[in-house]
Amino acid sequence: MMEVVDNSYPGFQFSNFARNENLVAKGFPMPNSRKTGTTIAGIVFKDGVVLGADTRATEGDIIADKNCSKIHYLQPNMYCCGAGTAADLEMTTQLMASQLELHRLNTGRQVPVVAANRMLKQMLFRYQGYIGAALVLGGVDKHDSHIYSIHPHGSTDRLPYTTMGSGSLAAMSVFESRWKPNMELEEAKQLVRDAIAGGVFNDLGSGSNIDLCIITKDGATMIRPYDVANVKGQRQGKYEYKRGTTEVLSTTVRPIQIVAETVKKVTVEEMDTA
Amino acid sequence: MALEAINGVSRYHSKLDDLGEEMVIPEIGNLKNQYQLCTPDLPKSECQIGEFLIDETGRKIKLNYAHGTTTLGFKFNGGVVMAVDSRATSGQYIGSGNVKKIIEINPYLLGTMAGGAADCTYWERVLAKQCRIYELRNRERISVAAASKLLANMVYQYKGYGLSMGVMIAGWDKKGPGLYYVDNNGNRMPGNVFSVGSGSIYAYGVLDSGYRSDMSDTEAQELGRRAIYHATHRDAYSGGVVRVYHIKEDGWTKITEEDSKDLHYKYAEEKTKRSQ
Amino acid sequence: MALEMMMSGPDYMRDPRKHQFSPYANNGGTSVAIAGDDFVMIASDTRLSRGFNIFSREQDKVFPLTPKTMMASSGCWADVLTLNKVLQARLTMYSHEHHDMMSTTAVAQLLSTMLYWRRFFPYYVSNILAGIDEEGKGVVYHYDPVGHMEKLTFSATGESVSQIQPLLDNQIGGLNMLGVKPPTMTKDLARQLIHDAFVSAAERDINTGDGIIIHTITKDGKTEETVKLRRD
Repeated sequence: MMEVVDNSYPGFQFSNFARNENLVAKGFPMPNSRKTGTTIAGIVFKDGVVLGADTRATEGDIIADKNCSKIHYLQPNMYCCGAGTAADLEMTTQLMASQLELHRLNTGRQVPVVAANRMLKQMLFRYQGYIGAALVLGGVDKHDSHIYSIHPHGSTDRLPYTTMGSGSLAAMSVFESRWKPNMELEEAKQLVRDAIAGGVFNDLGSGSNIDLCIITKDGATMIRPYDVANVKGQRQGKYEYKRGTTEVLSTTVRPIQIVAETVKKVTVEEMDTA
Repeated sequence: MALEAINGVSRYHSKLDDLGEEMVIPEIGNLKNQYQLCTPDLPKSECQIGEFLIDETGRKIKLNYAHGTTTLGFKFNGGVVMAVDSRATSGQYIGSGNVKKIIEINPYLLGTMAGGAADCTYWERVLAKQCRIYELRNRERISVAAASKLLANMVYQYKGYGLSMGVMIAGWDKKGPGLYYVDNNGNRMPGNVFSVGSGSIYAYGVLDSGYRSDMSDTEAQELGRRAIYHATHRDAYSGGVVRVYHIKEDGWTKITEEDSKDLHYKYAEEKTKRSQ
Repeated sequence: MALEMMMSGPDYMRDPRKHQFSPYANNGGTSVAIAGDDFVMIASDTRLSRGFNIFSREQDKVFPLTPKTMMASSGCWADVLTLNKVLQARLTMYSHEHHDMMSTTAVAQLLSTMLYWRRFFPYYVSNILAGIDEEGKGVVYHYDPVGHMEKLTFSATGESVSQIQPLLDNQIGGLNMLGVKPPTMTKDLARQLIHDAFVSAAERDINTGDGIIIHTITKDGKTEETVKLRRD
């Protein structure tokens, strides 16, 4: 009971775990979490990195969100694409963004990408794969341009180009045939677009638009959408209903009773910025 | 014998019946001999489709067919009344809201449908054929007892294979009105009042409280209708149209087919009138 | 894995694991048919898939049976092909024997009997049969995998059935609406409804897309039309 009231413990709450296990054993199915059957990708080019992602989120075979954002902010010089359980990705990247910001304030300098990679892999390893997050981390720091792929169990690779998610093979086949070192920006953007498009068209879990994020020494630009790969089909008919089509079975009228009305002036308090 | 041959009837109805050279084309078994169904080379206990419900990628495969029903039939002094709903469900999905769950075997015989829709329609169709052959051979109509026993024997051949049916066979013969319950286990029993299906518990409640053997025709029809209506109201797997049939000495007649929604408001109106 | 070891010992000490033969695959596909007074339209999407992969973007799932009937089937593609092959053979045998094509009603019953033949090891298929009956009217028959058959004027089946059937029930059946009469079915309306139903299904169902082929059968013959859908 205390746990319900006092919610100040950090991290996950496991108080319903045993109960849920019991329910599953009795034949009640667990509710499904929203997954992003996804294509995400990242490459290193001459001046930095390009990250790309599709925008489809699915619940089973149904498309739950046709234009979701899968490229998450970590730092001004660092972004992270996510594939896997939508809620895990959202919370993990938000947590990392604040941890990295604290780290930047503590150290007083730009956080290197290796640090973000290390923090992410340590967190994911601690939770033994139960946080369903597969990430492509990309960023530029004073040393170099970096692309990391991070797996849900905590293993990571630093690579010049990588892909993840259910469309990773389709996207990787594009990189394997066309990636080369020191590409120009436009060429790099086109390559990532084509890789994501490979996933969008050939993987049923990926779809809709293509988002890109370009990170160079001068900062990051999100282009969302970079390419509307699929145009929504046009319906031919009009499906409108005349007023009164839904039958009214019974009517109850409840007058709204206004008991008293007071107006209170609120003075704005200055924030302490000293 | 000649007629038998034309109809593809074998005197020894057995699924093990050798079809001889016809076996070369295995896909036509039951077109030649309706009793013969394809039985996979697996132990009997595994000949149920439930065993195959996972595809090669490990995803579950939906292989649902119509289930969930309320049907009823009862004998009284004025004949037999049969009433059914019309909903077919596959899991939570309503596959159809207008299924004909009373199967018209011939002008004097009716069969109901509960359980697997395909099982009921197929075997009652085979039964209809057998009843016609009986008429041609014996120059008289088949009795309800004999018809129901034919059906019971047919499905008993496949006991344990996973057929699913609970049907009532009703009609009028020399002995007067007849009503039998037959199911996939091979059960067959005569009776005065039956209700079968997921909504039967509700139907029985109405039926048992209102049943008298000396009801008038309209009273009896209304009792059947009400019993089905109340079942559609309480049982999520029953619904749609309420159909009522009445069997008398000169065969069956279709009495009404009413939407359960219309019945609901009709009964609600009658209720408020009565309370005023 | 380590936890599993601790609970039940090394794998050679555990009970033998049963490996189930799984003869079915789900290759997706959705079909719709709408009948009018003197025509019937039957359409299916053209995507053939398994899991998250697309096998084909242009596989028509509507099969011609006789000059007056067509069958749309989807589900396990291997079963679709086998069922169609056997049905075609039966129809050919019939036409040779009777010097005439089989009537739509007879084809409908034949299909039901053939599906029930495999009652204990069913074809994993969702079928709709569309045709012109003896009176020249359009008819639609809907089947479950083991041969339960229902005669209708419109029907959907397959992967996106739960998205399309309610639309048809509402727009053609006119159910549960006040002051709305079911429309008289015309070719234009049927085509529009089929088109819009698939466009909407492609928006939300990952298994439906690429394109649709709409077949129209009248007493004068058959025509077909291809419509593009989104390809993602």
